[in-house]
Amino acid sequence: MTIDDALPLIRALLPVLTALASLALVPIVRAWRGAQSEGSVNYPTSAVQVLLLATSAGAALSGAGFLSTLRIGQITIDPSEPGRLLVILGGAVFAVIVGAGEGRRAATMGQIALFGLAAIDLALAIPAGIAPIALLLFASLGISGAAASGKDDIGRARAVFRDLRTVSLLLPTVVIAEILRVAISYAAVDPSYATPASLAAGTALGVSLVVIVAAGVFPFHNRLIKIFEALPIVGSLLVGVWIPSALALIVMGELATLASSITDPLGGAIVPGILLAGAATLIFGAVSALLNDDIGEVVGYIAVGNAGWIAMAAAAALQSPTDTSSRLIVLPGLLTISLFGLWLVSVRRRYGTTSISELGGWARRTSANGIVLIAAIVALAALPPGAILEARLNLLILGGNPLIGLVAVAGQLLLIVAAIRLLLVGFTPQSQTVHEAETRPFANIITMSLIAGSLFVAAAAAGWLSLESGGTGQLPPAPSVSPAVSFEPEPSTNPTVGPSVEPTPIVTPSPEISPTATPSGDNGVSPTP
Amino acid sequence: MPELELPLVIAAILAGTLAVTSAGRGAWIAMVILVVTSSALEFAIAELDRIGLMLRLAAIGIGLAVAIPANLFERAGLRRDLALRRLVATLGEHPVVIASALAGLLLGLVPLALPIESSSDTLRAAGITLIVVGLPPLLTSRFIEATSRAAVVTLAGTLLLRTSIFGALDPLGSLAVAAGFACILIVGSGVASRISSAEEE
Repeated sequence: MTIDDALPLIRALLPVLTALASLALVPIVRAWRGAQSEGSVNYPTSAVQVLLLATSAGAALSGAGFLSTLRIGQITIDPSEPGRLLVILGGAVFAVIVGAGEGRRAATMGQIALFGLAAIDLALAIPAGIAPIALLLFASLGISGAAASGKDDIGRARAVFRDLRTVSLLLPTVVIAEILRVAISYAAVDPSYATPASLAAGTALGVSLVVIVAAGVFPFHNRLIKIFEALPIVGSLLVGVWIPSALALIVMGELATLASSITDPLGGAIVPGILLAGAATLIFGAVSALLNDDIGEVVGYIAVGNAGWIAMAAAAALQSPTDTSSRLIVLPGLLTISLFGLWLVSVRRRYGTTSISELGGWARRTSANGIVLIAAIVALAALPPGAILEARLNLLILGGNPLIGLVAVAGQLLLIVAAIRLLLVGFTPQSQTVHEAETRPFANIITMSLIAGSLFVAAAAAGWLSLESGGTGQLPPAPSVSPAVSFEPEPSTNPTVGPSVEPTPIVTPSPEISPTATPSGDNGVSPTP
Repeated sequence: MPELELPLVIAAILAGTLAVTSAGRGAWIAMVILVVTSSALEFAIAELDRIGLMLRLAAIGIGLAVAIPANLFERAGLRRDLALRRLVATLGEHPVVIASALAGLLLGLVPLALPIESSSDTLRAAGITLIVVGLPPLLTSRFIEATSRAAVVTLAGTLLLRTSIFGALDPLGSLAVAAGFACILIVGSGVASRISSAEEE
């Protein structure tokens, strides 16, 4: 293998290679320096944090251009802008979370985060169809299994069991949607079939169900809550938020292609149904977050509220396939929930409790945690108003139903109120638990990275950083060749100049054309302004 | 090898039915037979894809090696649990599953108002039968090992149904699904052992 062959392989599979490298690195570091902490340094955890940051930097350098496209025989791995952006941000987010979590299994959690990010990057790099969805679903199952291991806890085991059942049911749903989709082309020429609009509705329902169930949209929210209750925060975030968000990006691409392939309005009540589910999820998540007395559950219900936006985005992708608002809100949502997760793990580690009644005065005792929660609230509110808020409003306008819009706005406001309630508890008189807890000095590397990381993530989530140019990029198109009956998508109205364009000597220095008005950075991924 | 299609389909259906109705050795052996026959149907009969077949069998082999109980291959136990009379009796104890399997078989053999007229009848029948047999325990069972076996049966059926229409999976899809089979088996057995040890404590 020459260097010219190896470079695309490294660029295309960098997150996977880093995750695999961690399997060797962590035992080596453990053998060399031991698993115990020396002062504030836990060497295996630090090694994994370095790997997470390296993955992040490596993904930014590799980018999503044709230089990072790998072809092995018939297999093409074509890293996408959204996939690389998720890795860039995910590497930084999970490095901070792993640092804040400390603990005996922090290094293992970091490895789990590396594998989760690798799965997301790979899934968003392979052509749409059953493979990326199957990869993400099974990665979710594997991650929840790995995150729950190491402790004989029935709650954790049952959460994984629920995940196993869910994943096993979702894959047949995808296959049925795939079959219905093929029938659309038959329906157009043979009147004995159902109408294209009704078959498209069935396909849309099947594909949407994957994201609705995985993201925890009402009435499938229970899985998400149990995950946040039972699994460690890295596992919860990956299984409950990051992987469903990656699935949502794939599903929205599929839905947009489907909607643009039929001329009649979509049959059934699919779009209003998904919209209604989204709005109901937002209000349900918000009210439940307000009524709960456990910060783990409150964060879980805030994640449920975020799932409501994902459902509304899926409906918008069906309503208006060319509009990028639906894809724009996915990334800020997952970053916001990650910030809440970071706050949760930090508070839980410091005070050893998740009960609000025992956490009075937490923000006065540990101001760094207060800064993290304020950053999370700013991200949740998407302040100051900018691209993210505009995209959310656009989704409500696309929905076209004022009542649903009103419910969604009320739900979002109540979510913010629920988060502010957590902050206010931090300024009440200190409880016994908070008073007796050991705290570390403010000028500490973990505290400083916690604050810096949370401010960076909040800036990205609230729209201060120009993420939309990378986050709404095209995913690799569906395969055009199928062995039997073709499952190729109908022509899309989206621009499809994608990264899989063959490089030629006369190609311009920037081979990617971003579908948004804002041009991408050098590598097609631009997390900086 | 089209002449092997019918025997493999019958073996897969019987093995799938036994995998969800029996317990212990009988169920595990039935599942081994099911995954081997369904993989052969997908990658050797419907379409010759040696790499896909090897990948699937290797992944499931790893999954089974981790998940299968230690005393599975005890000779006396195997002889007792795999006796024909016992297997027939097990099937007889679950008339609803047998009726579901027959209904699935009929449903699969009748072309529906979908493009599956153009598909392979026997593969489609096997796929629908396995889905119909696997789904009820997957949805309702409270036992983790039984649920993960039902998940494997349902997934195998889904893939056979898909193969009957689209042909075998592409290489990446094949890799993802093979890993998925292994994941279901390993995570299922891990969860089962964790719950039983937590309950013992």
